[in-house]
Amino acid sequence: MGLKIEKLSKRYGKGLFSRETELFRDVSFKLEAGKTFGLTGPSGTGKSTLGKIIVGLEKPSQGDVFYKGSSIFELRGSEKKVFRRKVQMMFQDPLDAFNPRKKIERSLLDILSLLKIPGSKGPDKIRLMLKTVGLNEEVLLRFPAQLSGGQLQRLALGRILLLEPAFIILDEPTSALDVSVQAQILQLLKKVQAREKLGYLLISHDEAVVRFMADYCGKLEHGSLSLA
Amino acid sequence: MNSLLDVKKLKVGFEGAKPVNVISEVSFSIQKGENLALVGESGCGKSIIAHAILRLLAPEARIEGSILFKGRELLKLSEKEMAKLRGNELAIIFQNASHALNPVYSIGRQLAEPLRIHQKSGKTDATKKVLKALAQLGFSSPEKYLKFYPSWGSGGMNQRFLIASSTILEPELLIADEPSKGLDPARIKEVERELWVLGKEAKSSLLLISHDLGFVRRLADKIAVLYSGEIVELAKTSVFFKQPRHPYSQGLLGSLPENGFVPIPGLAPALCESPSGCRFHPRCPFQKEKCLREHPELKAREERAVRCFLWA
Repeated sequence: MGLKIEKLSKRYGKGLFSRETELFRDVSFKLEAGKTFGLTGPSGTGKSTLGKIIVGLEKPSQGDVFYKGSSIFELRGSEKKVFRRKVQMMFQDPLDAFNPRKKIERSLLDILSLLKIPGSKGPDKIRLMLKTVGLNEEVLLRFPAQLSGGQLQRLALGRILLLEPAFIILDEPTSALDVSVQAQILQLLKKVQAREKLGYLLISHDEAVVRFMADYCGKLEHGSLSLA
Repeated sequence: MNSLLDVKKLKVGFEGAKPVNVISEVSFSIQKGENLALVGESGCGKSIIAHAILRLLAPEARIEGSILFKGRELLKLSEKEMAKLRGNELAIIFQNASHALNPVYSIGRQLAEPLRIHQKSGKTDATKKVLKALAQLGFSSPEKYLKFYPSWGSGGMNQRFLIASSTILEPELLIADEPSKGLDPARIKEVERELWVLGKEAKSSLLLISHDLGFVRRLADKIAVLYSGEIVELAKTSVFFKQPRHPYSQGLLGSLPENGFVPIPGLAPALCESPSGCRFHPRCPFQKEKCLREHPELKAREERAVRCFLWA
């Protein structure tokens, strides 16, 4: 069962008394396991907002998102916890995604403690994850600012993988990276997807990236989504 | 020699508990009206070179070599003389527009600042010029933006505000540090057009720092590929894209979308821990015994210079 996005609309008020502005309306599509939906469109059309609504970080003005048949906005307690774990988001700037005052190892161990994985098993899981994303164990002892954008984006993906997600919303995952590192990250995302049967929503304004990655795609423009 | 900018054997290092050399013997020149692009992965020292030219590096930086701008040695100028040049004849568009703009001043005020300081313009005169600059960068009703604050704008808008503020005095040499980073294709086109117009109409030269090879290809006359703090290939843009010679340049072009996103294996080394021998050898598909031991020189031949034993 996938993630079903149904007739989402988002409006927001500008200032206290001015009229509401509509960002987009009636956006519907589906995310499936093992497939990539590519979402393109100019900046400011609400691509990131749409991504945030799907992971439950923002509320839509209208419409709903269904995960395994139930609305994500009505999930409570343990069900909500499972959803939050299974549907993850990866952001554009990996430097903002890590706590600057914690060493990488600490950031990763925090995730594992949230999952109630016993401390003794943590290091093994992290080691395995680092191998998957192609990093050396030495990065664990560094602070985020001591690592390159490519290394951090690999770690951001690795941290998400520790949670064993089913879907990842990739919000411009490579637009802060160099061409050569971009190619590495895209290939890595493909490899991980094939192995774990992950469903991706790839948000990117780079149509070449979307063409390379996506199985199906849509363009968000002038407030509505046109599927291609 | 009538180069606008002539960088000779530039070396940059940083003092500290463990002193490090980050830029080693980089030389290039830019003629009047010419655009040169510095390309390479993040962390290879592109921005350090830009900041060294503008003398904006931290006090612990050790700079050697020579940087001649219109025949004047920038490394020997006093801070006062340097301040006169900066923004006026020699300007930079910084990376990360949202952080480079001052969050507490309006756009109108920030854009007028260079005019007031360097040209001693009055308020009405400065406002007129600011409006013109905004209109040129594609803002349809520029008056609206005089009282606008950076936090209200998107990344693309801020990038254009920043370009307007750096180009408002029509500098002779403009250094653009990743001007296309994080922008969508339509915005990149606008930035590109603006930089192109600046080169054609104001006869400005451009030192373009970018990893966006498509952008570089359309704007630059010459291209210098930087890897781990040194130039590995320097050629005319048309010649370079037809046939890159250095294995790293070839890898960079292979990573492009049109070539199927084929990545270069491994990671770029940190500037403080450059590998011995040829600095690219750990990632090079054509690696030979000699590459591990000896450091290749930059050798010029047939309109280009390449730092590789295979080319020698």
